[in-house]
Amino acid sequence: MQLVKVMLLTAACLVGAAQAEIAVVVNPANANAVSADDLNRLFLGRSSSFADGSKATPLNLAEGQAARAEFDSKVLNRSAAQLKAYWSKLVFTGKGTPPKELADDAAVKAALAADSSAIGYISSGSVDSSVKVVATF
Amino acid sequence: MFKRTALTLAIAALLAAPAHADLTINGFASIKAGMTLDNDATLYGYDDDLDFKNESLFAVQVMSDLGEKLSVTAQLMGRGREDFNAEFEWAFLSYQLSDNLQLNAGRLRTPFYKYSDFKDVGYAYDWARVPEAVYNLDFDNIEGVSLYHTTTLGSLDSSLQLIAGSFDGDAVVTGLTVQAKIDQVLGAAWELSRDGISARLAYLRGDTSLSNPDIDALTGILTASGLGAVARAIDVNEESSTFLGLALTLDKNDWVAVAEITRTEVDDSLIAEQNGYYVSLGHRFDSLTPYVSYEKRDNDAKRDIIALLPQGVPAQLALGVTQAVERFEVKRDAWNLGLRYDFHPSAAFKAQLTRVNNDITDDDTSLVTLGVDLVF
Repeated sequence: MQLVKVMLLTAACLVGAAQAEIAVVVNPANANAVSADDLNRLFLGRSSSFADGSKATPLNLAEGQAARAEFDSKVLNRSAAQLKAYWSKLVFTGKGTPPKELADDAAVKAALAADSSAIGYISSGSVDSSVKVVATF
Repeated sequence: MFKRTALTLAIAALLAAPAHADLTINGFASIKAGMTLDNDATLYGYDDDLDFKNESLFAVQVMSDLGEKLSVTAQLMGRGREDFNAEFEWAFLSYQLSDNLQLNAGRLRTPFYKYSDFKDVGYAYDWARVPEAVYNLDFDNIEGVSLYHTTTLGSLDSSLQLIAGSFDGDAVVTGLTVQAKIDQVLGAAWELSRDGISARLAYLRGDTSLSNPDIDALTGILTASGLGAVARAIDVNEESSTFLGLALTLDKNDWVAVAEITRTEVDDSLIAEQNGYYVSLGHRFDSLTPYVSYEKRDNDAKRDIIALLPQGVPAQLALGVTQAVERFEVKRDAWNLGLRYDFHPSAAFKAQLTRVNNDITDDDTSLVTLGVDLVF
C-alpha cells in the first residue's frame, strides 16, 4: 500500500515536472500579472510595458538552452527558424531588436535580481526565492 | 538639400558614435544561381547560361544606440548584378518619441508593398524572390522622414507608418530606363494582425517627372509640329501619381497563404495604369516548406493618346506615338513552384521553378533558381 502511494506520488511529480518545464519569472518586487498574450507581445517586440504601464525588459535564453526551445514553441508558437525570419523582418527595417539573450538560467536570475523591469523564463527546476514565478508552461 | 543633409548626418553620427555606444552588427546574404530553360530566353536578368551573380547579394547593417532614445542605422549592400559594389541602401536616424512611436529620418525604404521593407532579406520569406508581377516599382528607397506607430486595438495589433519625402535618381519603368524625380511623396501603410492573420493597406502619392532621350525627342517633335496637346498627354512632367496596395496573409497550423494586389497610376502621361496581383500558398513540414504561387500583371496602354492625333499627321510621327504608348502595355502571368529547406538555424536553401506566359507575344519562358539565403 505504502509502495503504491510512493509510486503514485512519484508519478504525479514526474507528470507535474513534464507539464511545468518552464517558469516565467520576474523580480520579486514586480506585482504585475502576465498573460500568455502579454508574453507574446513582450517577446515579439510588440509591447514594452507591463499591465501597470511600467517598462518591461524581456530577456531571452541563448539558443541551444532547452527552456528556449520550449518557450519558443509553447508560448510563442513558433519554430526557431520562424522566429529568426520574424526578427530579421524587424531588425533589417530598423523597426525592432530581439530581446537580449543570456547564457543560462543563472544569468537570467542574476539579471532579474538587478533589474526590476526584467522578465525572463527559466527551467522550473531552477526557480528559487530570488525570483517570482508569474506563469508556467 | 534636405536629403543630402540627412544622409550625411546619419553617416557622420554613425562614425562619430562614442566608443561606449551599443553597436549592433547584423547582416544577410543570398547566393543564387539561375538559368532559363529555353534557348535564348531571358527572364529577371537570367539567360540560358547558368548565372551565379544576377540575384546574389551581401549586406551588412550597423545600428548604433546613442542612448537618450536616439539611434542611427546604416545598411550597406552589394548586389551581384552591380558587381557587388556596395552602396548605402539605407541610412537613417531613429528617435523613439514614445514607447510606441518612432521617428526615422534619412534614406528609407518606400513602404509600397507588404514585403518592401525586407524584400532583399530572402531569409524572411519562403519564395526565391518576391513576385515580380507586383514588386516592380523601381523606387525602392526615398529620402525623407517616417513615423512608425504600433499599438493594440482591442485584440488586434496595429502598426501604422506615415512617410514623407522624395525620390531623385535613375529608375526602370516597364523596361524603360529613365531619369526620375518624384516630389512631395506622402504615404501611409497600415497593418492589422491577430493570431497569424494580417491585413495591410498602403496608399502613396507623389508628383512624378520622368525623362528619357527617346520620349523627350518625341515630345519635342510633337511640340514643334504644333501638337502640344499630344506632347503634354505623353510627357511625364510633375504628374500626380498614386499607388494603392492591399495585402492579406495567413500563417496558421503550418499553412502559409499570402495575397497582394496593387494599382499604380500616373495621370496625364503615357505611363499605363499598372495592375498586379499574386496569390501564394505553402505548407510547413518541419524544416521543409513547399509552395505554389500564381501572379498576374495587366497594364493597358493608354491608346486614348493615339486618338488625339489629328488626321493627316505624318505616318512616321503617328508610328512613333503608337510605339511609345504601346510599349507600356504588359500582359503576363506566371506560376511558381518551389521549396524552402531550413537546413541550418541561420540559413535556408531554396529551389524554385517559374513559368511566365507573355500574353502579348504568346511566349512561355521557364526559369529555375537555386540558392541559399542567410542572416547573421
